[in-house]
Amino acid sequence: MCGTCGCGQPGEPRLHHHDHEVEARRVVVERSLLEDNDRRSEALKKRLAARGIEAVGLVGGPGAGKTALLEATFAALGPAVAGQAVVEGDCATDHDARRVEACGARVAQVVTGSLCHLDAHLVEHALEDLDLDGVERLWIENVGNLVCPAPFACGETRRAVLVSVTEGDDKPEKYPAVFADADLLVVSKLDLLPHVDFDLERCLAGARRARPDLPALALSARTGEGIDAWLAWLGAERS
Amino acid sequence: MTVHETKLCLSLLALASEHLERSGGSRIVALRVRVGELSGVVPEALASAFPICAERTAAAGAELTLEPVPGRELELQEMEVI
Ligand SMILES: Nc1nc2c(ncn2[C@@H]2O[C@H](COP(=O)(O)OP(=O)(O)OP(=O)(O)O)[C@@H](O)[C@H]2O)c(=O)[nH]1
Ligand SMILES: [Mg+2]
Ligand SMILES: [Zn+2]
Repeated sequence: MCGTCGCGQPGEPRLHHHDHEVEARRVVVERSLLEDNDRRSEALKKRLAARGIEAVGLVGGPGAGKTALLEATFAALGPAVAGQAVVEGDCATDHDARRVEACGARVAQVVTGSLCHLDAHLVEHALEDLDLDGVERLWIENVGNLVCPAPFACGETRRAVLVSVTEGDDKPEKYPAVFADADLLVVSKLDLLPHVDFDLERCLAGARRARPDLPALALSARTGEGIDAWLAWLGAERS
Repeated sequence: MTVHETKLCLSLLALASEHLERSGGSRIVALRVRVGELSGVVPEALASAFPICAERTAAAGAELTLEPVPGRELELQEMEVI
């Protein structure tokens, strides 16, 4: 019941703006703000699946090692790198695009400016610049950000979230949203573990609060440790 | 205000105006949005972006209530229209 004018039933949850000349009417909507993006993402997924392309999303804070993981993966794939395409999302520069291009992958760079995450619409447009003939896997490296990419599906079939050991083991607990939608937790820069206080179990436990059955692995793009388990998750073979 | 919240506000306003039209009303005076704690959206940021985004729309001056809920949803629950 409204405390100002007394309208509404007692106990009825009541929003309190009224125009007292005209009685306001309640309209039930119950629809998601993410509908449009979800719809585009599903359409994109279908389009890619119809061509036999799997899309893998990489999400993680700035510098978590997303591009380094792509480089290590492409090195391990050998000639199969020709079947890999990448959409690179960054606020500025084409540095990452150049890095994966140097590995032999096809790439489209999306420069997002002040936008802090990719979304399905941006990926759709990026694909206009990408020749997908003969591509078996499309990588979508999101803008370095552990928060904002969370609710925006980008057409990926699976999404891996990276946390590097130098970021601290409490990150999943602090930024849970992105882990709720993840398909894999990748703890990266494992070679640096002896130099930092990072508890792998604590990191994993934090992420599993958001998604209890979240699979996880730890690796180093630098030394190659753990890359085989990563390739196994991908369903890819070392050349 | 970041582009992130601005984009979400525009989605909110688009959805709201579609339902305003359907309801035959002319103005939105209040909206209630459920914001999941795992939605990746900071309620404060959405709340501060909304009045600016709503200027010169049918929701100008409307009261936005953000209801924190568990889970991932981000949903326009209901609104009041005149
Ligand atoms: N020691 C070590 N350094 C790494 C490893 N992976 C990445 N780095 C370093 O971490 C820094 C950031 O790596 P990037 O691959 O650019 O990280 P990113 O997540 O792609 O960064 P953004 O796209 O800018 O968000 C670089 O200096 C890398 O050399 C690793 O496994 N071990
Ligand atoms: Mg990168
Ligand atoms: Zn953001």
